[in-house]
Amino acid sequence: MDAPIYYSKTEFIETDTGNKVSRRATIAGPQNIILGGKTIISSNAIIRGDLRRTGAGHAVVISLGRYCVVGEGCVMRPPYKTYRGNFNYYPMKIGDHVHIGANSVVEAATIGSHVEIGKNCVIGKFTIIKDCARVADNTIVPPNTVIPALALFAGSPGRFVEDLPESTQETVEAQTKRYYTRFQPLDR
Amino acid sequence: MPPTVDYHCPCLSRSALPPPPHLPSSSFNFHALNELFFCEECDAVRCNRCVSVEVSGYYCPNCLFEVPSASVRAEKNRCARNCFMCPDCRNTLSVVPSDPPDPGDGRMAIPISTIGEPPFFLYCNHCRWDSAEVGITFEKPTGLAAQLQKFEDSAPDSLEFERLKEHFEPVIRASSLSSSTTTAPAAHPSSAAHSHRVRTNSITAAASAALARDIPGVGKHNPLARSGNRAGAGGNKDKTANQDEMPEYRSRVDVTSASKLGSGGGEIDVEYMRHLENVGEVASLEQRWMNSWATPLQAAELKPLRIPLHSKRSKRCPVCAHILIKPEQKAQSVRYKIKLVASNYLPAITAALPHQQDAVGDSSKRTLSKSTAAAAVAAEEERSAAGIHAGKTYPFHLALTNMLYDPIQVRLTVQRVHAPAALPPSSGRASPDKAPTTRRPPFAVSLPSSSFPIAAFAEAWEYEDDEDDDMFGLDDDDEFGIAGRVAGRDKDARGAGKVKMVGVLEKKANVTVVGGEVVIGKEARGNVKFNMLVSYTYRSDDPAPSESNDADGPPSRAAVANKPPEIKTFAFYTVVDLGPIIPREESR
Repeated sequence: MDAPIYYSKTEFIETDTGNKVSRRATIAGPQNIILGGKTIISSNAIIRGDLRRTGAGHAVVISLGRYCVVGEGCVMRPPYKTYRGNFNYYPMKIGDHVHIGANSVVEAATIGSHVEIGKNCVIGKFTIIKDCARVADNTIVPPNTVIPALALFAGSPGRFVEDLPESTQETVEAQTKRYYTRFQPLDR
Repeated sequence: MPPTVDYHCPCLSRSALPPPPHLPSSSFNFHALNELFFCEECDAVRCNRCVSVEVSGYYCPNCLFEVPSASVRAEKNRCARNCFMCPDCRNTLSVVPSDPPDPGDGRMAIPISTIGEPPFFLYCNHCRWDSAEVGITFEKPTGLAAQLQKFEDSAPDSLEFERLKEHFEPVIRASSLSSSTTTAPAAHPSSAAHSHRVRTNSITAAASAALARDIPGVGKHNPLARSGNRAGAGGNKDKTANQDEMPEYRSRVDVTSASKLGSGGGEIDVEYMRHLENVGEVASLEQRWMNSWATPLQAAELKPLRIPLHSKRSKRCPVCAHILIKPEQKAQSVRYKIKLVASNYLPAITAALPHQQDAVGDSSKRTLSKSTAAAAVAAEEERSAAGIHAGKTYPFHLALTNMLYDPIQVRLTVQRVHAPAALPPSSGRASPDKAPTTRRPPFAVSLPSSSFPIAAFAEAWEYEDDEDDDMFGLDDDDEFGIAGRVAGRDKDARGAGKVKMVGVLEKKANVTVVGGEVVIGKEARGNVKFNMLVSYTYRSDDPAPSESNDADGPPSRAAVANKPPEIKTFAFYTVVDLGPIIPREESR
């Protein structure tokens, strides 16, 4: 019943854990980026894993969970702050089953699981998005906002609109899993 | 727009029949499946409008701090910590230090302390408002609410409120005393119920006092008065007689002069409006809404507001008070102790138009292989081809997913719209829609009329690989198809090249795809929307819900083993919306 979403086979690299990364996406600093399995990074996405905090050792800059989808043209940048005179980047942690819509700019500090972010959103620095929240399309979320769990945020500046139904977690989980199975290569 | 299926919640109305879908008000009764709950005791669907809601906890949406309910009342439902809201754009404010003092000779400023320089003030990241404009600054970056407490307490509105409370308190105490003596001895309810009863009884006491005043001879009815405490009862009568008399209230400040203190109204506002230069200087209604008192008219004088608290709610069935939703204690946890949502009980139905899906699939394939310009043109053609045109016949698919752990037998019936006109309803004929008074639907829907099974829900690895991928019908599927088909259609279903349209199309895991057909009239307009009754039967091995399930634990379990599994039937209405009809252009 579900219509498959086709992608050109040559465009995406598939890893052994099921991640599908587009060749046209700009991934900077891939050694600092962690993808949970079955995550899709669409074309023209920009993921800045090179903006790491100063310090020795291996640092994880951006980590994504399972069944995530980063839409086309998205920009994912870790947030930065000058604290006590020092300028530093902070790591960005994203949970499972997160869909980020096309052309969104995400600089959040933490995104929980089962979050759906719409198209053309701007998520400000150090935003904390808790589980099962939803950010509508074209929302501008100012920096340092906290989006509580099961909240729907919309508007500019993003404001709390309503609470989502209790079954949101299952709905989003089924949706993201279905999306991953629908995302099939088209053999030309 | 893709086709949608919504579910009907009767919402405690007497008739279970949903309203006909062509009425615009009928969408009130239909909800998406993920918003509905299911009460196991009443075996009924409940929606967000008919459940009774209780608050199970409060939390601040900014700092996510769980506020105990005692402090909620004290802090007037606002966050008592550092959470403030920008009066202009409603964004949360952050505490920022002032800039460190400039050394004066071009060198970089030396940071004096790690947390920054006092005085601190609030700053909005979005609209760049800061609280120094209204003159609110802080000495320390933490404990802002405490620092503001002094100012808030001496504000004229809170002083006025205190005065009102002092004025009414003796009256309330008197009425509550009188009612508490009447309800006293009997059972000992919990304190919450007791205070609740006291409150209602103060209302009933006041009402009965008013009645006693108006109608002579009707004394106060004391159903629970005990023989003891007669003195109190006697004293009651005096109090209730005077209960509606209250000392007159004088406000602290005369109203006409209060406007100078910022409560709004009066000459001050008129003067201000006369000298207004820019409409933006006046605070908008939305900005003034949040404060309980009259806020200043000028936008420049709006104060930052404390962030109001959000609550976590638990929901109960309105009929049997069974808990449907009970969240966990932790404010930000998404799990629930009790979660009786309809998606776990009712089969999930999704509708699709295969010609639409094919069109979309073709266009996406084409965009992959073609250049963008040509693809855009092709996409336009596909979009018009994907619509529903008047005068044509379209098959549609309904996928039903069974969420129960038992297999079910489902029967679908299209609800006939009752036509008030005397014309008999006809199922296969295309009907002209010229006269708006006739309620005959401009389309005809045919669905398989016999029941079909859907397998039980199980984990993904438990399914055997029996995908009956059959468009041409297998043994038992075929009879469904023949029985459901409208008379007059061709009979050769097996391998004669004609794809079976109506009937069970596919059975995979716990999903069954059923095909139906819709014939659109030539003059049809509007959306293709029809009500559908879904009734399903399942064998449940659970014992019938017993009223005294706490008392008999082991005996009922033994009884269960002897009871045969019963077959339960449940039916619910849905509305299937296949999308708008593209009317045929009339060539005149």
